[in-house]
Amino acid sequence: MGVDAEVTGSELLQFIIAGLKNGSIYALVALGFTIVYASTKAINFAQGEFYMFGGMFAVFFLSGLGMPLALAALVSVITVTAVGLGFDRVAIRPRRDAGPLTLIIITIGGSMVFQSFARHAFGPDERPLPVFTAGPSIDFFGAAIERQTLWIWALTAVAVVALTILYTRTKLGRAMRACMENREAARLMGIDTNRVVTISFGLAAGLGALGGLVVTPLTQTAFNVGPSMGVKGFAAAILGGLGNPLAAVAGGITLGLLESLSIGFLSSTYKDVIALAVLLAVLVLRPEGLFSRASREKM
Amino acid sequence: MGARPGRAQRSRLVLIAAIVIALAALPFVYSDAYLLKVLSFVGINVIIVAGLSLLFGYAGQVSLGHAAFYGIGAYTSGVLAVRFGWPWIACVAAAVVVSAIGGLILAVPTLRLKGHYLAMATLAFGQIAYVAFVEAKGITGGIDGLSGIPSPSLGPLELRSAESNYLLVWFFVGVALLLAGNIVALRPGRALRALHASEAGAQACGIDVVRTKVQVFVVSASLAGLAGSLFAHLVGFISPSSFTLVLSIELVAMVVLGGMGSLAGAALGAVVLTLIPNLDAVVPGMSPRAVELLQDWNADIFGVILIVVMLFMPGGLAAGAGRLAGWVRRRRPAPSEAEA
Repeated sequence: MGVDAEVTGSELLQFIIAGLKNGSIYALVALGFTIVYASTKAINFAQGEFYMFGGMFAVFFLSGLGMPLALAALVSVITVTAVGLGFDRVAIRPRRDAGPLTLIIITIGGSMVFQSFARHAFGPDERPLPVFTAGPSIDFFGAAIERQTLWIWALTAVAVVALTILYTRTKLGRAMRACMENREAARLMGIDTNRVVTISFGLAAGLGALGGLVVTPLTQTAFNVGPSMGVKGFAAAILGGLGNPLAAVAGGITLGLLESLSIGFLSSTYKDVIALAVLLAVLVLRPEGLFSRASREKM
Repeated sequence: MGARPGRAQRSRLVLIAAIVIALAALPFVYSDAYLLKVLSFVGINVIIVAGLSLLFGYAGQVSLGHAAFYGIGAYTSGVLAVRFGWPWIACVAAAVVVSAIGGLILAVPTLRLKGHYLAMATLAFGQIAYVAFVEAKGITGGIDGLSGIPSPSLGPLELRSAESNYLLVWFFVGVALLLAGNIVALRPGRALRALHASEAGAQACGIDVVRTKVQVFVVSASLAGLAGSLFAHLVGFISPSSFTLVLSIELVAMVVLGGMGSLAGAALGAVVLTLIPNLDAVVPGMSPRAVELLQDWNADIFGVILIVVMLFMPGGLAAGAGRLAGWVRRRRPAPSEAEA
């Protein structure tokens, strides 16, 4: 985008770069879905709102409170993580064992409340955020990479590495993986499963917020960007295989590439339909996902 | 559960008859065009919610895409009337059939999936339908909408007035509730309740689980299509903004507020939540500022209702009313006991 590619090769490369950029964001949102699903077996329909909050709070801390950009971003992630923790504590925990239908409805309600809160607090307009480092795009074999895209990749990579360390090297991570396998058994082994679920919501919120704030310099943000990103993130999560963090990342990247390449070869009119079509196709054909060996959960 | 089901049933019939008579008499007693228009929209929502309640309360399935079926009905009806000059009744029939087919196409592959997957699949379906309404400009008129949809008419009789539209909508509400009530009371309803309790158990009893769910989904989609058709001819203008995810969620909230296992409760939920943003129609002296505030906070109200009902009264208004009735019944026959 923005650059005149002379050869089809560099055009293709440009689409791949765009796909990897969007795919990273999808991966962050998808991780949120998958982490919450792993500990609760429920879909958090408010996940997209954490993404929206990430951008909106960063804008507010930057231009409303005059914080420097890096601090505004950090405080935004912390704030949204706290929102996620609080959401579990107030609305999810009391009814956690009531079955997926109840949790779906509660998280849908949460999504509406969060969205309206953002509209009341920050207004109905689109809000921008400055790029993290100014400067011209970087030339990469004839394709252009915006500097903000590098930030997106870097921060996604940091988040994935940190999550991997959390899962493999810490006691909390082991507890989370145990809950993923079998919550009842984990509880019997003395794991505080309530705490694991609360932390899952916090992590999901923080990752969503990170995705939202790092992409805002390129796309702007608004109170109503949550649901469509939520659907895409869920499509990515289920494309990979729900409940498996690495599969969520793979699903996000795959979805980003699929979307970007079909825009390149088909038309941009139906850009937003691609993720939806992928979602429906995966649900119908292979609900366990492409990159996961989890058993089929259906009748 | 009362000790005298005969009496309970009789008082229920009396209540239903009273409501029907009151609704039918209203335009002749108090003919306020604005009130009748709002009540027509209430009726349209009751029709959709009747179908959604079947799906929800009795099949344990949640749809986040019913605005799509509503829209499919509205556009089918509108396009056939405006571009092809079909008579109204044929438009209504076509709207019901096309949305039923839409429901079938979505239900057959996805209803094999469990609750949360179906919710997402219907959400995605709703979003795709919205994009289609916007992008298929040649047919739907795109984002600018489709205008000039004629009022309902039967032969030479044109139903233009607020009174006639109101009566027409509530006639269809009656049809929809009768249909849904029969599905609940008869064999399919028992199958549905079994489904909700335990799918595996229902299957073991010889209930074709997938088939029953698909049937219910198709019925609920065609009721939404019927409502969409009524809406299109009443308003005369439709645009994609009437068929968004927000509407789908509001419809779910109506069922949740009313009570997921109760048709009457769901209808009550639709009445209450449709009236909130138009409260000035039923409360005469309301200030415009208050109405504005209510509309501004409408989404918050719906969101909070979804959470609060699920947290504190998962049975909704219906369960609350049931508990109240039980309490009254217990108190009445033995006043001396109540002192304790």
